[in-house]
Amino acid sequence: MNSEPSPQPLVQVDHLKVYFPILGGILRRKIGEVKAVDDVSFTVNRGQTVGLVGESGSGKTTVGRAIIRLTEPTAGVISYEGKPISKLSAGAFRPYRKKIQVIFQDPYNSLNPRLSIFEIIGEALEIHFPQMSRADRRERVAGLLDKVGLKRDHLDRYPHEFSGGQRQRVGIARALAVNPEFIVCDEPVSALDVSVQAQIVNLLQDLQEELGLTYLFIAHDLAVVEHISDFVLVMNAGKIVEAATAEAIYANPQHEYTRKLLSAVPTL
Amino acid sequence: MTTYILRRLLLIIPTLFGITLLTFLLVRLAPGNAALLKGGGGEGGGRAMTAEQRLATIKLYGLDKPPLVAYVDWVGRIARLDLGESWIDHRSVTAKIGERIGLTASIAGSALVLSYLIAIPLGVTAALRRGQGIDRVLTFILFLLYSIPNFAAALLLILFVAGGDYLNLLPMYGINSINASEMGTWGWIWDRILHMILPVVCLTYASLASISRYARVSMLEVLGQDFLRTARAKGLSERVVILRHALRNALIPLITIFTLELPVLIGGSVIIETIFSLPGMGQLMLQSLENRDNPTIMGITVLAALVTLGSYLIADILYVVVDPRMKYE
Amino acid sequence: MSTNPPVITNETYAHRVARRFQADAFARNGLRMVIFLFILATLAPFLANSHALIRVTDGQTSFPIFLSLDPIEWRFLIYVPLGGVVYLLRRRLLTHWRIALCLVVAVIALVEIVLAYSHPINDPTNDRDRAASFKLLPPIPYSPIETTRDQFAPPSWKHPCGTDSTGRDIAARMLHGARTSLSIGFVSQSIALFIGIVLGGLAGYYRGWTDIAVCRFIEIMDCFPSLLLILVIIGIFESQNNMFVIMAVIGFTSWTGVARLVRAEFLRLSVQPFTLAAQAIGATDLRVILRHLLPNSLGPILVVGTFGVASAILIESSLSFLGFGMQAPTPSWGDILNESRRYIDFAWWLAFFPGLAILITIMSYNFVGEGLRDAVDPRLRLK
Repeated sequence: MNSEPSPQPLVQVDHLKVYFPILGGILRRKIGEVKAVDDVSFTVNRGQTVGLVGESGSGKTTVGRAIIRLTEPTAGVISYEGKPISKLSAGAFRPYRKKIQVIFQDPYNSLNPRLSIFEIIGEALEIHFPQMSRADRRERVAGLLDKVGLKRDHLDRYPHEFSGGQRQRVGIARALAVNPEFIVCDEPVSALDVSVQAQIVNLLQDLQEELGLTYLFIAHDLAVVEHISDFVLVMNAGKIVEAATAEAIYANPQHEYTRKLLSAVPTL
Repeated sequence: MTTYILRRLLLIIPTLFGITLLTFLLVRLAPGNAALLKGGGGEGGGRAMTAEQRLATIKLYGLDKPPLVAYVDWVGRIARLDLGESWIDHRSVTAKIGERIGLTASIAGSALVLSYLIAIPLGVTAALRRGQGIDRVLTFILFLLYSIPNFAAALLLILFVAGGDYLNLLPMYGINSINASEMGTWGWIWDRILHMILPVVCLTYASLASISRYARVSMLEVLGQDFLRTARAKGLSERVVILRHALRNALIPLITIFTLELPVLIGGSVIIETIFSLPGMGQLMLQSLENRDNPTIMGITVLAALVTLGSYLIADILYVVVDPRMKYE
Repeated sequence: MSTNPPVITNETYAHRVARRFQADAFARNGLRMVIFLFILATLAPFLANSHALIRVTDGQTSFPIFLSLDPIEWRFLIYVPLGGVVYLLRRRLLTHWRIALCLVVAVIALVEIVLAYSHPINDPTNDRDRAASFKLLPPIPYSPIETTRDQFAPPSWKHPCGTDSTGRDIAARMLHGARTSLSIGFVSQSIALFIGIVLGGLAGYYRGWTDIAVCRFIEIMDCFPSLLLILVIIGIFESQNNMFVIMAVIGFTSWTGVARLVRAEFLRLSVQPFTLAAQAIGATDLRVILRHLLPNSLGPILVVGTFGVASAILIESSLSFLGFGMQAPTPSWGDILNESRRYIDFAWWLAFFPGLAILITIMSYNFVGEGLRDAVDPRLRLK
């Protein structure tokens, strides 16, 4: 971590646990539990990118979903700007939906096939700025499309008319619509071709600089994470096994699991 | 598997509760009963009743008791198979149903067996000749059969083959000819069979059509799977592949189809038994409805629901017993 | 989770479904037949009526049919402009407005049908025998409830489908009976769809105890053979003869298939990333359901709805056949068949024509449903 950590991290995760019950027996009682996330703590500072790496099933996606409240934590506290947000009611959490956004892995299923690009991106504006006129909304969405490298005349097209990379750009524009501060990028490039991966990662970096965004960047691939992250967390079986700066992880991996992940990475 | 079966059995409890509650509510809310309680006019669904009958009805449905007590009593009585007394002839509903259920069960049962026996070869043939002429013709004919209302089919069959202006091959009504008792044992049996042909046909054809459509889809699904290719690669003859491997796997899902047909058959027997004047449960149902004989109506309804529930249960259990791949979720 | 094939296409979902549907000959012709039946039912008062379309007497021109039409008779005529409006606006409206419009249409249909029941349609006048310098009679110059002295007339040029025991023209009764069948089919299915979507949607979206409760409720309803249950409700409450009650009873007893399907669809769709994305931007449950889940399940819902109309028409005719259907003068196919039972040994036309009408109607709807199912979800089709 940097020599002088900022006084208050933007996001702080404290002893987060997410257990999923295993039901069984005649009465479908809980007969066990899957410890998807087992006592995980870390912080994300403003303007930083923290990489979260692990194999599928390591619990990294669950951490991301707990932060954006798509999964209820079993125990632990998640704080945003020092305020605990993991126990808030859905209504009380609502203002934070503007600040915390998410980009999903699957570019094909993350866009509603029945809605136009304008409707998809504009939905967040409809929700958070109900007084905004339709014309203003269109203007704002067109601006967002421009920002993510798409064209204004894509507004009234439908997702099926776009390639995977373009769809992922739409997904990014949707996340940006409400001017968030913090974005959980849940494997945003894993489903894309290698050539497209670099474009999207570059886009995310440019946006970070331009808008001062903070990222939690989830991936199963250390190579992608190294490129973008300031700090890297390695997760295995629900626990963080190693936490260090990106350079340190590469230069001197401490944990055996990290070495295993590294050896699986093709050198670029 | 045992866990699954026990769990399945446990799930019946809420369903049983729901079935009895629903029928109980129907009875409680029936307008005739409210009038009964007030005692005004002694109306039993538009029919004059004696004071004695009125009291019996009030007692049967616990109309004078609080709903909860009345409901518990009602369930207790159903459990002891006491369904009350008919308003029409004062006989016990259980006895009335008992003497008629055999006929209905045998007609519906033969229709079900027959439809399986005919449907499976048809469905399998269509699947094996997928897309060819015979498949298309069969598909169309089955669709046609499936869409003919059974009462129209029954009327037209009577008209054309049973003593209308045209052929007179089969008897029109009843379960036996008037002089059946003079025919001797074999003659009597033959006479009974002749009387049963049309009703069974009318109940069979629609089930037949839907079962063979399921059989076709199921067979096509199996034919597309890998293990058949393996079997062929082992050098087994096409005949062995189809009969031994494909057919057996295709038939498993068909076990549960009868649960879909059973409610249709029960509804159909009301219509068919009425048209052919067969003294079964369906005909009793319609007569009771026409006479506003509520105890009998409710008795038959509860019984039909319980039989259907039983069939769901049997199908679910059979399915896990027969198909080891079934997940016990 | 299903992954769509990464195909870029210019075809919208609706176009793709329409193209696949068009490729199926059975479905195509089924749809033509359904539309044709709708036209017949809509125009029934102009096709079979004892009044003249145009009559000129003493130099005065009049339009007796239009004057004789009850407000009630207009009810089917509403559907044509309404359908046109929906068609014209289909691209200009946002998804939720389109859904709202469909709901409004359903409500109008319901309301006007509530108004429709129990109105006296006894109008003894007829223009057949009336002298006029010019008159244009409808193709079938008899009204459905008009009795004549021509009893049990076999099919002829005068009565293409014959007459019944009181000399009523069967063709006229069947044309007007088509209205009964179709409106019962559609309205009862609207009710069933509404209940099924609400209950199935709640179960699939909220899961847990809601799901368990709804599933038990579905199983309980499925335990009662539907024809039996409907007969019991109508019989016990002595409420037959009322079109609206029959629609409601059929609707309230045939929603389980819809509920099962919507539940399954919602279970599948509610874990899709686009649903999670909507939740992440703060969409309320209602918004997620109406905007994301429901529009994506409309295809399969349409399929069960189509099959449902067919089975509702069959149930209605069964009820009328058993004598538990509509009040006597209201023409219904099942009712004609019911009457035919007494004269089956000679009056074959009384059973044949309405039977054929029911058969063709049900078959057409089933063909359309089948074609739609294949078109909506090609995985279900085994090519």
